[in-house]
Amino acid sequence: MRDVAIIGVGSTVMGKFPESLPYELGAEAARAAIQDAGISPGDLQFAYCANLYGGMVIGQAVMGEIGITDIELTNIENACTGGATAVRKAWWDIASGLYDIGIAVGVESITTSPMAGKLITPAKGDITGELGMNMVARFALSQRRYMDMFNISLEQIAQVSVKNHRNGCMNPYSQYRKELTIEEIVNSRPICEPITLLQCCPSTDGAAAAILVPLDLAGKYTSQPVTIAASVLKSGDYAFRWEDMTFSDMTSKCANSAYEMAGLGPEDVDVCELHDAFAMNELQHYVELGFCKRGEEVRLLEEGVTDLGGKIPVNTSGGLLSKGHPVSASGVAQIAELVWQLRGQAGERQVAGAKVALAHVIGGEVTGLESGAVAVHILKR
Amino acid sequence: MKTGVPFREGLFQGSDEKGSLLGARCRQCGQIIFPRREACLNCLGNDLELIQLSRKGKLYSYTIVHMPSEHFEPPYAVGWIELPEGVKIFSQIRGWQERPLETGMDMALHFEKLWDEEEKEVVGYVFRPSTNGGA
Ligand SMILES: [Zn+2]
Repeated sequence: MRDVAIIGVGSTVMGKFPESLPYELGAEAARAAIQDAGISPGDLQFAYCANLYGGMVIGQAVMGEIGITDIELTNIENACTGGATAVRKAWWDIASGLYDIGIAVGVESITTSPMAGKLITPAKGDITGELGMNMVARFALSQRRYMDMFNISLEQIAQVSVKNHRNGCMNPYSQYRKELTIEEIVNSRPICEPITLLQCCPSTDGAAAAILVPLDLAGKYTSQPVTIAASVLKSGDYAFRWEDMTFSDMTSKCANSAYEMAGLGPEDVDVCELHDAFAMNELQHYVELGFCKRGEEVRLLEEGVTDLGGKIPVNTSGGLLSKGHPVSASGVAQIAELVWQLRGQAGERQVAGAKVALAHVIGGEVTGLESGAVAVHILKR
Repeated sequence: MKTGVPFREGLFQGSDEKGSLLGARCRQCGQIIFPRREACLNCLGNDLELIQLSRKGKLYSYTIVHMPSEHFEPPYAVGWIELPEGVKIFSQIRGWQERPLETGMDMALHFEKLWDEEEKEVVGYVFRPSTNGGA
């Protein structure tokens, strides 16, 4: 198996773009990644394109827009994990020796889809969906129990949103570029109690892309290749085996496999982008990703360990809360942020001397499973 | 009066005081599953017995939803009810306006109208705070 490197990344600004069709967003990100890698579109041998709501063969529309046809092209749907799945598949196509250069794109345009203005719900006919489940309720149920069993306050949870929105102000790609206060977050409109509007990621349009090659060929393209030290993707386990809804077994298992694959541990991670779809997710994921023991996660946040300047800055991009959550693009957008961090190109939000980075996404709701899919990537320079 | 139809076949039987949720117990590994399946989802064994699940449980968690869903107007409550068998059931929660919900409180199974569908009344299980003691 060959080591794989990322030689180029690109992203659109995240936001609400009713005038932009999904393939236009995808093409913008792909073009940016191609330019960043210093290659010609014709060099690409294969492509993966992740998307949830854009319709049939959107990857072909994206690639067709930038002059790429007649290659192996696969469209991917894996809910919030779609983008990371595209990266994972591209990684394998290079690692296995099948191809020498390819692109992973994630694209979402909620505004132009039938989902605009609606809560994301399970697929039609899903039992819990019919009984009133939606993505916010699913996490509100975890949060209610988390607060009650571990004596965590809404104000403490809101601090995650404060931190990530502060980071988002320093990211030109972020949807929100506005600081928020604990009071504003706690007193914003209730969506599914105890989750209020400003504890939720926004609905987002956007796209991101990454270009992968074998590490031993990377020198041809760049002096700053970023190596994929681990790429792990797992589907959800049955909820009857899930004892504690305040702890994601999926995330924990996936992270452990990724650390093993990379030969690294949580203590080695210098910067992390994790799935903060809701503010409280970030606290729970600190524990599952091994950054601290259970019960220490609020202290980690309050002492600034996960803030810029701390030992392990989390969601320097602003995270899903501030940068936005273009569902299938999020996994690739996280990779783009971490590549910029490892190359020292993250501007005001740069983590000094970052060498190892971790990306985590999870999502997809279906009756009977903890969640749909989870992915963890570890990058290093 | 509208005719009542179950919102999904095979999830429950009866109604009111006598009804129950229908689960399955695996004779091989002991796993209890709801809803029932052809095979045990834990060990994949085929030797399952139909069981009636307990009518009482504890409120594992709850939320008041302030957005409309396909069938429910806000605000409505949903939650996970943990039954003594160890199974967690996702359900609409009724009676929360009269009795504030609390994690861990005793809950009881009821069968009620979930929503209207043309001439039919779609009936299903809901849980309400228990008025006479716990599970
Ligand atoms: Zn079994």
